[in-house]
Amino acid sequence: MTSYNRDTLIENLLDQTEIVLKKAIEWQLIPHSTFALRPSSESWSANECLQHLNSYGRFYLPAIESVLSRSEKRESSTQFSPGWLGNYFTKLMMPGTDGKPSTKINSPKDHAPKTIIESRLVISEFIDQQEKLLALLNTAKKFDLNAVKVGISIAPIIKLKLGDVFRFMIAHQVRHILQAERALAKTGMVQEKLKVISLTTLD
Amino acid sequence: MHMKLTESLQHLKKFTYTLNSLSEEEWTNFSTIWQTGEAKRKSILTSKGETEKTLYFITEGVQRAYYLTADDKEATIVFTYPFSFSGVADSFLTQTPSLYFFETLTQSSFLKTSHSKVMELLDRYPNLERFISRATAFALKGALERQVELQTFSAEQKFTTLLTRSPQVLRLIPHKYLASYLGIDAATFSKLLSTVRV
Repeated sequence: MTSYNRDTLIENLLDQTEIVLKKAIEWQLIPHSTFALRPSSESWSANECLQHLNSYGRFYLPAIESVLSRSEKRESSTQFSPGWLGNYFTKLMMPGTDGKPSTKINSPKDHAPKTIIESRLVISEFIDQQEKLLALLNTAKKFDLNAVKVGISIAPIIKLKLGDVFRFMIAHQVRHILQAERALAKTGMVQEKLKVISLTTLD
Repeated sequence: MHMKLTESLQHLKKFTYTLNSLSEEEWTNFSTIWQTGEAKRKSILTSKGETEKTLYFITEGVQRAYYLTADDKEATIVFTYPFSFSGVADSFLTQTPSLYFFETLTQSSFLKTSHSKVMELLDRYPNLERFISRATAFALKGALERQVELQTFSAEQKFTTLLTRSPQVLRLIPHKYLASYLGIDAATFSKLLSTVRV
């Protein structure tokens, strides 16, 4: 299996997070009535997409922070070799070349938005999470992305390598930010399309 | 994206000459003490307790200085944008430990130089000292005006004043920093955003 240069991977993850964060910062100016509008009764609004991502962030960001605080710094390992499960999850999340999801997945019920929350609160939590994620990615530069492991949300007994958790999480965010963009486009909001950095190929 | 040294120096020259004209010799010597630098979003450039050794001249991005309270709340004291000096000004000028954190709020580019290099030039050129003194005087003027705004303006007046002065920040940085700078809560800020026309 191919391996990544750790610094290149972290830079790609930082860049993608920065792009997502910039988008969320622009979304602060969208009125709640637009942001919370469902494109159809069956599909999520931009607000619900972010609520869904926030629920993952609430699980993974503290989990990563706590595992990093308990791990030993190791700057020596400059390579990262993805695990098969990490690769599988990340690939599952990455959009196709048309920007649409390559696979249809029903999101786990625990992470589905249940109530209407004011958009400014949803966006503000999402922004806080992205800032936290940037800080954790910077901290992770001093750790071995192979050796540090994090339990996954649906089955904590299954652990992913830290590098894979970041890849999966950020690819998952891209998936739903693109979905939110499509929901906003249906309301007539014209905006620049999110730039997507591949997290599954070695470049 | 990254502004080149010569282009940045042109901006610095324009900024400098607006406050105080320099002779060719003074400018040549002043311009050689700077180098370019950049920092990603949310990079802490100076921490509380450190003495500010660096003077920045911002060419891209938004930065802030903030105070961290005993119960870990952040109070945004000042924002900086292009084209102006930045860093923890009082710590730099007095060479005493900073009470504030200084960080980037967006990807930023700047020129930077050190306290010792600046001081060496100020000793040699009284005209450069006059420039720094003027820059400091205008910073003081701004700080006192802001004190008045904080004590006498309504939330709406503060909001309108900030957005008339720097409308671009709304789409550049998270609004929590703007609310913190104005000393109003996030809910009030959001309400003003949807009701006030700037």
